[in-house]
Amino acid sequence: MPSTQTPPLTGTAIDPPALRPPIDDAAIERIAPANVHARLAELKREGFTLLLDVGAVDYPQRTPRFDIVYHLLNLRKTKRVRLLCGVTGTAPKLPTATDLWKSADWAEREIYDLFGISFEGHPDLRRIQMPNDWEGHPLRKDYPLRGPARERSPRPAFALKSNVQAGTPPSGRTLEALQQQIAKIRGEDRSK
Amino acid sequence: MSMSTTPLTPEIVSHEGNAMVLSMGPQHPSTHGVLQIMLEIEGETILKAEPEIGYLHTGIEKTAENLFWSQAQTVIERMDYLAPSSNAYCYCLAVEQLLGLTDRIPERARQIRVLQAELTRVASHCVWLGTHGIDLGALSAFFYCFDMREKILDLQEATGGARMHPNYLRVGGVQADLPSGFMEQLDALLEMFPGRMRDLRGLLQSNPILQDRLVDVGIMTQEEAQDWSITGPGLRATGIAYDVRRAFPYGGYENYDFDIPTRTEGDSYARFLVRLDEMEQSMRIVRQVRDTLKPGPYAVDDTKVMPPPKETIALSMEALIHHFKIMTEGFRVPPGDVYQAVEGPRGELGYYVVSDGGNRPYRVRTRPPSMYNLQALKGLAPGNLIADLVVIIGSLDPVFGEVDR
Repeated sequence: MPSTQTPPLTGTAIDPPALRPPIDDAAIERIAPANVHARLAELKREGFTLLLDVGAVDYPQRTPRFDIVYHLLNLRKTKRVRLLCGVTGTAPKLPTATDLWKSADWAEREIYDLFGISFEGHPDLRRIQMPNDWEGHPLRKDYPLRGPARERSPRPAFALKSNVQAGTPPSGRTLEALQQQIAKIRGEDRSK
Repeated sequence: MSMSTTPLTPEIVSHEGNAMVLSMGPQHPSTHGVLQIMLEIEGETILKAEPEIGYLHTGIEKTAENLFWSQAQTVIERMDYLAPSSNAYCYCLAVEQLLGLTDRIPERARQIRVLQAELTRVASHCVWLGTHGIDLGALSAFFYCFDMREKILDLQEATGGARMHPNYLRVGGVQADLPSGFMEQLDALLEMFPGRMRDLRGLLQSNPILQDRLVDVGIMTQEEAQDWSITGPGLRATGIAYDVRRAFPYGGYENYDFDIPTRTEGDSYARFLVRLDEMEQSMRIVRQVRDTLKPGPYAVDDTKVMPPPKETIALSMEALIHHFKIMTEGFRVPPGDVYQAVEGPRGELGYYVVSDGGNRPYRVRTRPPSMYNLQALKGLAPGNLIADLVVIIGSLDPVFGEVDR
């Protein structure tokens, strides 16, 4: 009899930002990669002096594949602007914003590290969260949750299943022998 | 100054001209976590500081994408482990915006959440004050701070069942009503707080040794603070009164009276004073919530999002079905994206949440205030002594669960 429990539901929206309900959280602009730096500079001149965050989202079924999301804040007018910049999937790259805001440094390094998107002109573009020799970009949707399948290092002898089942540690000392030894130290005679 | 252009090597010590490269951390008591700083020093003076982060990277954003909307909150609380409720609060507000529930949250739930958010801020500042004091050799303040934090953790335990990560807030309200005896415990805390703050101020604020260590160390101008995207106490210590609670009110903060403490000096001592004032303002909000707490439901009356009360399950078939559906497959969130920010203890804590219509978050991007605040170390450290670097790290108050996520 098949289970009546439905499988986990997955969403079907290919481009969620296009379907967003009317929420007044920020002014939203879509912008092409070629214009993004000029627009950021322009917004900074207009008073959006704080680059709050640079994030990225991966939409594998969509072209362009990635969205780079800039959150800007105008302190005087207390207004937010969100720039969404679509970036293609093959050799994705964008101009850096580090010349406008120093704070873009780590944010862009993180996107480079976790999404594999390069920022041209970044002074120090290298991995930030993952180890330097890591392969792959974990926050991409095609990156498996537990990491890629790879050869595991051999387990240490004491953890081998055969040894555990046999009840004999590789040192040759059984639990019984150990208990006897402890009893001997304590001056008890357990053999009786 | 002979600034080296070659990348800093991961060697522990290397020589280059008169300058020396020194690795501070990642196992160093005064870095407040697993932070490594590659320092280029000449004598005791820092020429260049390059923080290396990622030692505590646990992939929380990736994990959250593979959990139900409600389950994701449990890992999200673990980002800023000193202020778990702030993270949960921001995440819940963001998801509620996508669900269109924002205006339907009952008043009591909104008040309890504000209460939790402010208590967690005081608890977080207690840890900061205690450890900052220890960095400077002031040991006794630590015990006063942690004693007060303990009282707040007791309150968290009473609500959510756990001391560190109560997971008490929910999308749609809170998990359960405040337990009996909570108000008495809260009153005891409110009564103890002013005297305890007086003690702490007496121990630290006017202490000449502490002032020697903090005043004029790590000065940040308003322009620098904006350039480094500093938010929270760091920004307010430069004279910019930006507080998300006031600038973009959320969750009913517009109903409470509180001041935004600011200073104009921008040094470590200013940040220190701003945080102390903030603790008092937070307790002021807590007192107002306590005095105006309304009776009523503690969660939204929508069985598609909040499981029905446990006691109805045995009596109602629909309640049982809703409970089963939410527990086994979660709830679905309409597609869209939203940015929601709250004023966390360390600054603007933001969540950019994307839903593709499924029962799991498509993407949860955090705007981690700690990461941006810590990054400013690159600009603040050069020219200071190594001993002052410890002070600057302490006054930036990074939490590495949030920096590395």
